[in-house]
Formats: sequence, C-alpha cells, structure tokens
Amino acid sequence: MTEIEVRGLTKTFGAVTAVRDMSFTAPDGKITGFLGPNGSGKTTTLRVALGLVRPSAGEVLIGGVPYRRLAQPRRRVGALLETAGFHPGRRARDHLRVLASPAGVPDHRVDEVLGLVDLGSSGNRRVREFSLGIRQRLGLAAALLGDPQVLLLDEPANGLDPGGIAWLRALLRSLAGEGRTIVVASHVLSEVAQTADQVVIVTAGELRFAGPLRELGGSGGALESAFLKLTAVAG
Amino acid sequence: MLTQIRTELRKLATVRSPWLLLAAGPAIVVAGITGLVSDGGNVHDPAVQGRAMAHVGLAAVFTLIFGILAVAGEYRHGTITDTFLSFPRRGRVIAAKLAVYGLAGAAAGLVSSAAALAAAAAWWAARGGALQLSAADTWRTLAGGVAANCAFALIGVGLGALVRNVAGAVALALAWIALIEGIAGQLIGPGLARWLPFSASEALGRAAITATRLLPQWGGGLVLLGYAAVFAAAGVLVTLRRDVT
Repeated sequence: MTEIEVRGLTKTFGAVTAVRDMSFTAPDGKITGFLGPNGSGKTTTLRVALGLVRPSAGEVLIGGVPYRRLAQPRRRVGALLETAGFHPGRRARDHLRVLASPAGVPDHRVDEVLGLVDLGSSGNRRVREFSLGIRQRLGLAAALLGDPQVLLLDEPANGLDPGGIAWLRALLRSLAGEGRTIVVASHVLSEVAQTADQVVIVTAGELRFAGPLRELGGSGGALESAFLKLTAVAG
Repeated sequence: MLTQIRTELRKLATVRSPWLLLAAGPAIVVAGITGLVSDGGNVHDPAVQGRAMAHVGLAAVFTLIFGILAVAGEYRHGTITDTFLSFPRRGRVIAAKLAVYGLAGAAAGLVSSAAALAAAAAWWAARGGALQLSAADTWRTLAGGVAANCAFALIGVGLGALVRNVAGAVALALAWIALIEGIAGQLIGPGLARWLPFSASEALGRAAITATRLLPQWGGGLVLLGYAAVFAAAGVLVTLRRDVT
C-alpha cells in the first residue's frame, strides 16, 4: 500500500494561504499528474508530504504514515524538488554517495542510478560543470537511489531538452510499469497528457478536479481546455 | 546517530572549501609567531613563549567560520532539503553536525598546536634560544587553545543554524569579535565584559595571560562551553520548527 492521501490540508505562510482544505488521493501504482498554475500550492503540498513544511491543518500520508515517521524514508519515497540543490564543488558520484548511506544502499547502487539517468560517464565531474538539464538528471538519480515505491517529482522536465523530455517520459512509463506510485507536479500539460493516468488540478491553493485523465477528454488539447476552464478565476 | 555522523563525514570529505578554512588556522599561527619574533620578541623571555602559544586560541576564528558552514552552507547550496529528506528527525542531524564539527575543530586546534611548537622551535633556535617544553604554562596554553577551537566550531554550528545565511552569519561573527563585543564591554563595564564570549575565549586560550580583566582559564572554558550549549540548543529548536521552503 503506497497510495498518497492528502487529507484536509491547509498551509498558511503569514497572511498568505498557500493551500486551503485540500483533499485527494494519488492511487497506488499509478502516475498522477498534479497540475496548476504557478503559485497554486503544488510545491507546498509536496513539501508537506515530504515533511519539509509543517501543515497548518490536515496531513499527508504515504502508505498510511506521515513521511517523518518513515524509518528509512529514502527506501520508500524518492523526491525531486526544484529547490533541492547541490554543492557546486562536489562530484556527481560523491553527491549520491552522501545520500547512499542514509538510504541504506551500497555504494555500487550509485553507479547503477548514474547509468539509469545516462550520467554513467560523468560521475567524476563536479556539479558546477553541469547544465540545468544534467543537474535535473542527477536529481532524478538521487530520487531513484533507494529504489523507492513512491516518487514525488516537482517539474521533472525543467531544463531538459526535447530529447531529455522524451527520455523522461519513457523513464516514468517504465517506472510506473513496475507498479510504482508516481506524482508529477507540472504546468506542462502536454507532458502530463502523455504520461499520467490520473490528474489533480489545483488553483489558488484549492482543489478543482481529481480523477482519471479520460474524464477530461484524454487528449492534450482537451486537457488544456479543461485545465483553463477549471483554473479560471471564478466570476 | 551513526548513520548521521557517517553522512556528515562523507559530506566533509567530498568538498574542499572547509579544509582550506581549517588549514588557515595553522598558517595564521605560524605567521603570528613569525611576526612576534620579527617584531623584537625576546626568545629568552618565558612570557614571549606563552604569547607565541596563545596564537592557537586566536586561530579559533577559523573554526568558528568552519562551524557556520555546517548548517548555513547547506541552506546556501540547497542541500539541506536532501539532508532532511534523508533524516526527517532534524535534531539528530544537528547533533551529528555538532559532534563532527566539534571534533574537527579540536583536531584543527591540535594541528595548530603542532604548527605553533614547530614554528616557535625554529625561531627560538634561529635566535639562539631554546623552547622551554617543560614549562607547564606552554601546555596549559595549548590545551586551552585546542578547547577554544572546539568550542568556537560548536558555536558556529549553532549560529549557522540560527541565521541560515552564510554571509550574514560570518559578518555577524566577525563584527562581534572585531567591534561589537568591545563596545558592549565598555557599556557594561569590565566586571561583566569578561563573561562575553570572545573575552572568555581569550581567557581559555590565554591570549593575554597578564590581563587581570579576564576570567581564570578554567572559568573562560566553562563560560565558552555554556555559550556553545546555548547556541546549539537554540539552533536545534529553531531547526525543528522552521519550514524548509
């Protein structure tokens, strides 16, 4: 059981309400597209799910347990977040080695995941030499390190070139084919239309839709028009 | 806790900047002792030998900045997110950093002490003197210097967790040492000023052995340990409460 349940989640930062009474479930073994305009609360929701941000009300459970209570969280949940960074002077392989011991995986797993994201030959390079797209791949490698059943990815296509985006789509498809639960937060609708089974649409911190993609018409164009209608400011 | 400690050691082992900072300690000690002798310090005067050894305690300013990098450096590069994803129990992360950085600070103090002995031995010999290694004062000064290097690394870890911004924390620490503590000391008077952190570290590292304005060495050590405990506790509390965005 690795479904992700967002239950009555509210988060305020000072006077700003980033997420308001949000509830949805990302089902076990499916890819859920988490869609919304910039500033709609997607990242905040993911950060609460990962125990980085404390909710003002409600909770997010992963397989029935909050992230903070997972014993070896990197073996259960892999995350790619936009603000997660790298020490520019650290080599790519060393960045992953730092994460390997808390994930409880042996160091040779580091070379495996480097190969998985096509960085097998770049392990000894320092992160400062990397483009945004290569850093994104390294971040994905970190998320996959503990071979987790759950993946939470915030704008994973950021910085990837068209070839990289096609590669990412294939990777997500093959990870989902292994029965993993994947949440992809994105505002690139066409990407989500091609990969997701489920969609969750939020705007201004509130849920607008949660359900199978086919209910919104399935195709990329239909998703876009549904998205624009659902996220339009009321009135 | 062992996994947290091993992870912190790996982080340190895979970057260069903290090591350059720690290497600055022995370098400044050698330069300081060279300056002391060049400036006319009499190598036959035991007090001059004491002043030479007291440079070890002054080098603690580098372990302070080293400690600041432990947490604030992770916020700067955004690696703190991955750290807390690995270890959602943040208090243990800070505790592991205190252990690793405190020991590294003490080790830097030991290296600085060896550098002080070597530099002094070379200069004393060059000027026709001989180091009095049997002088208890020499060892007390060096031991205090090592303790100051350790304590300042701990204070740095706590300060970096509180301020989170490397430039801000380093600026605050250096301004405190160079300016603020002196002015604060004048405002509150010498009786209270000797309880301030830099004065306590001077007492511990015996930077001014003759000065009656300082606490005794052991007193300076206890006071500095108290500051380290307060900064560490405050750093943990704030880290537990704060959102990582």
